[in-house]
Amino acid sequence: MSEIIVDAKGVSRTFAMAAGPVHAVRDVTLQIRAGDHVAVRGPSGCGKSTLLHMLGCVDAPSSGTLLFDGHDVSTLSDSKRSALRLKRIGFIFQRFFLLPMLTAAENVELPLSEAGASRKDRQARTKELLDYVGLAARADHRPSQLSGGEMQRVAIARALANSPQLLLADEPTGELDEATGAQIAALLDRVNADGTALVIVTHDQALAGRARRVLTMRDGRIEREAAR
Amino acid sequence: MRALGFAWRSLVRQPARAILGVLGVAAVGALLFDMLLLSQGLLVSMRDLLDRSGWDIRVSAGELPGRGGRVPAATRTAERIITLPSVKSVLIVRLANARIESPSGSPIAATFEGVRGYARPGDRISHPWTVTRGRDAGGASETVIDSAIAKAANLQIGSLITLRASCIGDREALPPAQLRVVGIAEFPFRGTDEDAMAGSLDALKAACGGNVGDEADLLLVTSVSEATATAAAIRDAVPDLYAMTNDEVVGRLQQTGFSYFRQISAVLTTVTITFAVLLITVLLTVSVNQRLGEIAALRALGFSRSRVVADVLSESALIVGSGGLLSLPLGMLLASGLDRILKGMPGIPAELHFFVFEPTALAVHIGLLVATAILAALYPMRIVSSLPIAATLRDEVIG
Repeated sequence: MSEIIVDAKGVSRTFAMAAGPVHAVRDVTLQIRAGDHVAVRGPSGCGKSTLLHMLGCVDAPSSGTLLFDGHDVSTLSDSKRSALRLKRIGFIFQRFFLLPMLTAAENVELPLSEAGASRKDRQARTKELLDYVGLAARADHRPSQLSGGEMQRVAIARALANSPQLLLADEPTGELDEATGAQIAALLDRVNADGTALVIVTHDQALAGRARRVLTMRDGRIEREAAR
Repeated sequence: MRALGFAWRSLVRQPARAILGVLGVAAVGALLFDMLLLSQGLLVSMRDLLDRSGWDIRVSAGELPGRGGRVPAATRTAERIITLPSVKSVLIVRLANARIESPSGSPIAATFEGVRGYARPGDRISHPWTVTRGRDAGGASETVIDSAIAKAANLQIGSLITLRASCIGDREALPPAQLRVVGIAEFPFRGTDEDAMAGSLDALKAACGGNVGDEADLLLVTSVSEATATAAAIRDAVPDLYAMTNDEVVGRLQQTGFSYFRQISAVLTTVTITFAVLLITVLLTVSVNQRLGEIAALRALGFSRSRVVADVLSESALIVGSGGLLSLPLGMLLASGLDRILKGMPGIPAELHFFVFEPTALAVHIGLLVATAILAALYPMRIVSSLPIAATLRDEVIG
């Protein structure tokens, strides 16, 4: 059995709203292990992204316990959670969120720089990652000069910068056409095959179908789990 | 990429916003710098003027020289003061209104400074004017005039001038007198709109037809050593009179007439800083609000709260720093123009300046700009530090 990265037990997340509390995630128990490839599906508003944010330590559960690498996320300070995200977790977003004033290489270099890597190490790792995602020739291009698929590749390279154990992707093909989405899906498969655990929130059946575990959520609960 | 480099790239990303911010700070900073120069300028300039005159104590009948009537028994007072061991020289200064006849027709109004000096043997007595051409006036029939009179009345060194001076009151019948111009001089304590001439007290007596009386508007004293002790000795010797060192004169001016400038400067400084803070706060807040998704993504990627706060603070520092640098030459240029305008006011000595550069003003300017950068960044820093990462990422996708 491979090592457990995330261990969620009875996790719930409730948002206090003016019209009354909204239970985004209810009583979810879940384990993510090293090398896992998990897809989370379900209708809009069922709590997929909220669950993903909790797994990625950007949000904390309202109840239940969520352990990341054995550490209870709820008890960690903001700076410790930031450090955890920086070194152990990678994020990919639907809208890429690349910084438009930086080149592709500089975007990839950002997390390395924040982690305190030397200039030499940063440059070497950035080159390696841009090669990995097939964008070595576009290193000096700004996001505005890249296509949607290329931007998502840069975002993947950025997410992998500090060699995370877990890569979380929120609708990574949501802004892409089918063909480009398939290329990104293939790249994510490769990332997973190379040893990074992957959790993808998606509406895209094709993308979800590539995962070894598919969780279907409804009304904040995991309705069913299918394994391949 | 460190916070400063990151902030620089953020500013370059939106050049119009950055330029607007820098120019705004430059304009406001120039005003701020000028207000700081103005707050102490007159005092610094007056102190410099007094120190350069070579006299370190002024003895008068009123609290400030020129106010409170004339010093009675001027000769006896001067002779009493010169006997004090700490006194090097004493100069009796008597002023009179003079009207110089001009070949062009209308007479020229001028202030006549008549002086008589007392010094220890071997010591030279300087006068409160500087001869620029010719020589100083000494005899009872000699005078020095300023260049404006020389030009207006077409007078040369060696010319004879006819004047009528009034030493007692303007209503007396003025007898004409003739004096020979022996030099052209500058009178640093006279206003730019004021013509001046000078000579010995005997020359003034001659010009006034003998109606002078033994009075002085002012006694100027040079001390051998420390001025404060000498002034105290003079006060003991002539208790009815006021003896003030240059520092005391400046201090008195600071409490009275010049305090208006400090108050105006304090009010305008507060207003300008408020404008600068509001301007930068608005620019940074707009910028941060446009980038909430990016900031939330950076936080999700592991950027610490302090790092994103440092980015905003660095952006503020870059805008205020660049604007602040520009504000210095701009402020100096503006100060020079304003100084010219203010010196056009009647009665302002030609060598007195309202705006005077001082290192302390620069230090205060820098300090205030640093405070402005921090204050202006407080609100946008609060926005990024309290940014809910998950909610912002969710909102960005929905939006």
